[in-house]
Amino acid sequence: MSYVYPEYLVETEWVAAHLSDPNVRIIESDEDPLLYPMGHIPGAVQVDWFTTLQHPLRRDFLTKEQFEEVASNLGITNETAVVFYGDKSNWFACYALWLFQYYGHKKVKIMNGGRLKWEKESRPLVKDVPSYQKTTYRAKTPDKSIRAFRDEVLNQSKAKKPLVDVRSPKEYSGELISMPNYPQEGATRGGHIPGAVSIPWAQAVNETDSTFKPPEELRALYEGKGIKPDEEVIAYCRIGERSSLTWFVLKYLLGYPKVRNYDGSWTEWGNLVDAPIEK
Amino acid sequence: MPRPYTINMPLPPKLQEIVDDFTSLTRAEKIETLIAYSESLPSLPERLKAERAKMDPVPECMTPVFLYAEKGPAGGLLFYFDISPESPTVRGLAAILASGLNGSQPEEVLSVPADFFMPMNLQEAISQQRINGFTGVLAHMKQAALKHLHGES
Repeated sequence: MSYVYPEYLVETEWVAAHLSDPNVRIIESDEDPLLYPMGHIPGAVQVDWFTTLQHPLRRDFLTKEQFEEVASNLGITNETAVVFYGDKSNWFACYALWLFQYYGHKKVKIMNGGRLKWEKESRPLVKDVPSYQKTTYRAKTPDKSIRAFRDEVLNQSKAKKPLVDVRSPKEYSGELISMPNYPQEGATRGGHIPGAVSIPWAQAVNETDSTFKPPEELRALYEGKGIKPDEEVIAYCRIGERSSLTWFVLKYLLGYPKVRNYDGSWTEWGNLVDAPIEK
Repeated sequence: MPRPYTINMPLPPKLQEIVDDFTSLTRAEKIETLIAYSESLPSLPERLKAERAKMDPVPECMTPVFLYAEKGPAGGLLFYFDISPESPTVRGLAAILASGLNGSQPEEVLSVPADFFMPMNLQEAISQQRINGFTGVLAHMKQAALKHLHGES
């Protein structure tokens, strides 16, 4: 058994062999913004999940035009194969990939194992920030079939359709609202969306090198919790980054056709007046 | 409305100096300076490794921060950190706090306003979300200061 869409995943060797491939752009997307300036894959550019990809005013992503501007400035054409990698088992790499898919970019890939694996293999890291000739990138209309909004999540919950809560067990149980000492990032209520099953994101990756687990293990993990390929699935976490990883696993590694990421996640649901909560 | 802190309350002089230095830096210089602080954070002294093992596991998603505080020879507090090199931002913020507050009395640590870093304008370099790490590390340091004040360590 192999991954259903293996073309969405590349190994570090592949990236090392494509460092100067003009048809490939390597993008680092981290939780920690200092990692890229301290050293990155030669030729890689940086996007930041917050300062690059979020709308400067509203809680939303860049508009289509703003996204086009970002992609153009990174020298990406509509044909470029974009490879994402990052820290924290590729959370924010998956998040950036998800946004590129949202704006219709077809050729996207995750570097299996992310920064951690690249570093462990003692591959080169450089500080030079490359610049590429500006392109004229054209984004597509947002693909809302991969993004869930609160009303859709409510309907999903009412219809008892599959919801996957990928946060840690204590966040699911409501014992923790967010991380200790980070009240600003939390929610006013703890618990989970009624009907959601708990499958922490980390169960999909190998702890030692951050790579994804083999296909048969992944299938057993999700199907064992009742998350089947033929259903519509919505994944969520706290701000939508950990659930991007789960979304990537379900969508491309296991080939679930209808899976969406609820990027509002717990920081929206746990603050939403009148929203049902289960503990 | 009474405020819990006033911005007029003086910060310990070394911390004030760091805040002032950051205020005038460009975005790129702020990033460079944060990296320099991050790289300057000393490793945990060998004698504290046993304390490190007793540390409670920190829930995922948050960068694990181990902190140890002891009274220095002059009576002020000295802070030691153990934070993974994979989290340079949190290391940098902790190094700033350690440089700014080492040698301070517990009362001085407790009096540092939770928003002391606002004039540093770090959000343009690392975004507001990450700056909240300051609040987290400072809260840890205040808990340690409080224990010393109550004679628990």
